[in-house]
Amino acid sequence: MATTTSKGKPWGKTVIMGAISLASYIFLFKNEQLVTEVYTKGGVNTIFPIVTVFWFSFVHGAFASNLLECLGIEAKSSH
Amino acid sequence: MKKFIISILTLLVSMVIICPSVIAGGAGPSKDLLKGEILSVDPASHTLKFRKDTTDEELTLIYPESMKPEDIPVNRKVLVNLVHLEGAHEGEAAHAAPEMREIKSIEIMFLDMTIVRIIALMAIGAVGGLLSGFIGSGGAFVMTPAMMSLGAPGAVAVASNMCHKFPKAMVGAYKRWKYGQADIKLGLVMAVSAIVGVQIGIMIQKAILAAFGGAGSNLYISVVFLVVLIFVGGYVMMDAISLAKGTKEEKVGTLALKMQNIKIPPMIHFKTANITVSAWITLPVGILTGMLAATIAVGGFIGVPGLIYVLGVSAVVASATELVIAFVMGCWGSIQWGLAGLIDIRLTVLLLSCSLIGVQLGALGTTYVKDYVIKLVMASTMLIVAVSRGAKVPGYLVDLGWMEPISDTALKVLDSISFWSLVTALGTAALIIIVAMVKGMMAHKQGTAA
Repeated sequence: MATTTSKGKPWGKTVIMGAISLASYIFLFKNEQLVTEVYTKGGVNTIFPIVTVFWFSFVHGAFASNLLECLGIEAKSSH
Repeated sequence: MKKFIISILTLLVSMVIICPSVIAGGAGPSKDLLKGEILSVDPASHTLKFRKDTTDEELTLIYPESMKPEDIPVNRKVLVNLVHLEGAHEGEAAHAAPEMREIKSIEIMFLDMTIVRIIALMAIGAVGGLLSGFIGSGGAFVMTPAMMSLGAPGAVAVASNMCHKFPKAMVGAYKRWKYGQADIKLGLVMAVSAIVGVQIGIMIQKAILAAFGGAGSNLYISVVFLVVLIFVGGYVMMDAISLAKGTKEEKVGTLALKMQNIKIPPMIHFKTANITVSAWITLPVGILTGMLAATIAVGGFIGVPGLIYVLGVSAVVASATELVIAFVMGCWGSIQWGLAGLIDIRLTVLLLSCSLIGVQLGALGTTYVKDYVIKLVMASTMLIVAVSRGAKVPGYLVDLGWMEPISDTALKVLDSISFWSLVTALGTAALIIIVAMVKGMMAHKQGTAA
């Protein structure tokens, strides 16, 4: 998650993370019937929704962080 | 980053270890709620054949006369809510004699994803995320009812929202930890004690439910909600206004100073929050937060003011630390709802798609505003949400027979006041955050240019 104050904008990281994130969304929704079935079996299958949200929070979270940086929306350097 | 990940992993491992004991009495769906498929409907006897998920057990259930057989969804995954048997424990209804297994409601578990629903979920995720990143607690109070009005069954809405809350809180906590605002140690101590508090809160609620029934329980929740929101929200608002006007300096309150002067060992030092407090003060604050969180379902409305006014933490650190608490509580809750198989991951990831952007925007917004702005946003949200809950009270009083019945139209008006005031709360908060953030950013740019 790049939040450096360097002048170069992390466009490359944004595009890569965005593509992985988009692919994850497409994959999930293409298989929504299977996914909803498997994810709601309860018991040990609880691991699936938990791991999935961790995956999305890392991938999509990194994309969002880089995107904001590319748009020049960054935290104040000294608070 | 390494330190942050190690803290999270340690926590997850310990949660897996303690989880079975916690689940025994923990929050989660009602045991009278069955998940599975309706195999066939017999209009002659008003019964239907139902196959329970996971166990594949087949049950014959009675559906109410008000339900038309053609409206009953066959061969789709549904949630069936059984009428709770008087004097019985939760979950006993499914194993009662067949003539006593009466259905209260049937809901289709997975709603069809239309474009409108997708956009609506992304929009509420964005605003909820923004709020969460800024004040530490993020609009679960409006997300769950909004998801229900989109057609999701209540239990699925709660479960999916809970599962979206903790990764969002994790990303927000990480950002604010990087800005030097989140006190991980304080967050973990508060969260663990809050989990204990949640158990006590649930026990109290169960006792009230057994004594006064559903309407009594709803009234109790509403009264606690109103008292807490009006008093705490009002106090935070007065404090924020005095600070904004400059009639008061930003300093540690008298109560917090008294609490910090109680030197009963073990004393704990919290580095980022820059306080040293006795565990005998920290733990009760956490437990009380959990107890109230179990009752009003919005822990942040208690946790953040508790950290500010009882422990003496600044608003910016308190709201950041609340994200750590929200992560732990959300993770614990999600495991329980996941075990019951009620998380609709599609709803969760759609909420996350925009809330992960919103939460980071809200988090960085805190670096541009003064401490009182966080208090102002929190207080405004709390007071408007109080209006929403207040509008529900007449309905509960009628249900209890403590008030003359009111017309259906009046009840509908009150319901829409309740829902739209929640939307207003979220909208107002988002507006204040964006205006304050843009102002702060512009002032900063001008400052650096000059």
